[in-house]
Amino acid sequence: MPVEMITGNRAAALAVQQAGVDLVSAYPITPQTAIVEDIADFWARGELGGEFVSVESEYAALSYCCGASAAGARTFTATSSHGLAFMHEMTHWIAGARLPVVMAVVNRALGAPWCLDPDQGDSLSQRDTGWIQLYCASAQEIFDTILQAFPLSESLLLPCMVVLDGFYLSHTYEAVELPEPEQVKRFVEPPRFAAQVDPLQPANMHGLASGEEVSRLVRERHRDLQRVPAVLKEINERFAAIFGRRYAPAEGKALEGAETVVVTAGSIYETVVSALPGLDKTGMIRIKVFRPFPAEELRSLLKKSEARRIIVIDRNCSPGAGGILAQELKSALYNDGSGPLVQNLLLAGGIDLSPQMLRQLVMEAPADCSGDLIMEQWGVDLR
Amino acid sequence: MLEMTEFRFHGRGGQGIVLAAAVFAEAIFREGLYARAFSLFGAERRGAPVTAFVRAGQERLMPRCRVYRPDYVMVIDPTMTGTAIPAGLKEGGVLLVNDRESEEETPFLSSLPPGGSYRIYRVDASAIAWKHHLTIGSFPAVNAIMVGALARVSGLASLESVRAAVEKRITARLEDNLQAAAEGYRQVKEVTAVGRNFQARSL
Repeated sequence: MPVEMITGNRAAALAVQQAGVDLVSAYPITPQTAIVEDIADFWARGELGGEFVSVESEYAALSYCCGASAAGARTFTATSSHGLAFMHEMTHWIAGARLPVVMAVVNRALGAPWCLDPDQGDSLSQRDTGWIQLYCASAQEIFDTILQAFPLSESLLLPCMVVLDGFYLSHTYEAVELPEPEQVKRFVEPPRFAAQVDPLQPANMHGLASGEEVSRLVRERHRDLQRVPAVLKEINERFAAIFGRRYAPAEGKALEGAETVVVTAGSIYETVVSALPGLDKTGMIRIKVFRPFPAEELRSLLKKSEARRIIVIDRNCSPGAGGILAQELKSALYNDGSGPLVQNLLLAGGIDLSPQMLRQLVMEAPADCSGDLIMEQWGVDLR
Repeated sequence: MLEMTEFRFHGRGGQGIVLAAAVFAEAIFREGLYARAFSLFGAERRGAPVTAFVRAGQERLMPRCRVYRPDYVMVIDPTMTGTAIPAGLKEGGVLLVNDRESEEETPFLSSLPPGGSYRIYRVDASAIAWKHHLTIGSFPAVNAIMVGALARVSGLASLESVRAAVEKRITARLEDNLQAAAEGYRQVKEVTAVGRNFQARSL
């Protein structure tokens, strides 16, 4: 396999080209711009394979992907920061419509004031939309993860964000092993998911539904998102057989005997790993899959250590709540503690809480939650 | 700790410093080493200060942060002056500057804070660029020349690797850039202070 010195953005564009997309629609924004420029250049030279559609905004870019994906096309877009914020409405819609759109998000802080530095709050603040979120730590991993995102997304009918830090990944030239096109073809097969709409037979889709119907759909999406680790494992087996590399939802380093464990996501990983040999009794964990949150994997990785201290590095802040990775990790660790059972009633879809439901919830204590301290219950099951 | 050499480049938007870092990393990579190059900039404006970083080592794994303690600092525009230029430069490190040849103290040299324990190397890259009519807008295009000089001073890349990297990354005026890079490689000199005078010594 030839090894080339390329940037993270270039790695993303090459992966999209090799994966055989039907449609790319995107709008340029720093630090994502080079991805769009490269893809537009492939298209202009007749080397993209699919269509590239230049649009007037990020909102239009994601809407274009929405329509094309509904017609069964493999679609890709890329954005950063304000571009992603502008897409926000469509991120919910695409997840709800079960469209396997793949999007690269190049992290950048949100204004005001204007800032180009790689705060991860842009992608992390989309955590509740129902997209899979995969955080990369090298240009090689960006290339590999985009190749994996298409089959992952299409087999679960869930959209996927492939996330990379601005500058530290997007603009860094480094060695990347670029596979032969035949190898990629063996790994990424043409899309096989069913088209929801026939462009020749226009139809109105996703019309008005009741809260109960929506609740069931949300529950299905929630459960399908939780299948990501299992599906990703299979995908990585196939990937490793061809390319010799594999990625886990969460990855640990030097955990045995570690009394301090550093936890982070994204490009900071290699800065910490490089420093580990000089840090006493310190190990680290990086979160690759942020949605679904790999709570079980994190708990089992932490059990390998003797951690009395966990340092969570968050290049973001949810004002009023704190670092987002820290919040999620604390919630995952609750299950290992000795606190009271947290019974979580989900009324997603906006369904009503009836007195009968409340009574049932309070009076009928769950018989067995198999040791879990966190228990999910769905309102649609209680009525 | 990992064996690694770290570089910091200073220039202005429009001078091709980002490209210089990419070309230098490519040249090092061609020597069988791992290298990374990246840059930081605000909204891209001509003339605004731009900083780029290069790391080189035998292992793929390297930190992904800015370079705070460089082994080498390269300044491609001698009007970039001030204490920020040699900040953090390691003891015994190297400062390579594109500056005019002179036995007098140039404005760049006199701007350096006293007491630095690093070596200074100089190449008049602007003169080489003008000679070959290499320009980026109104600036002399010195990036390939400075990469040639830095390869020589650091010993991390041969002239052959520099030429291969320039061929790969620089499309405009390739022949002139190749010749200019070779002149940068050959003409870079160490500068030593004798009183207020400066003596240049060939490598």
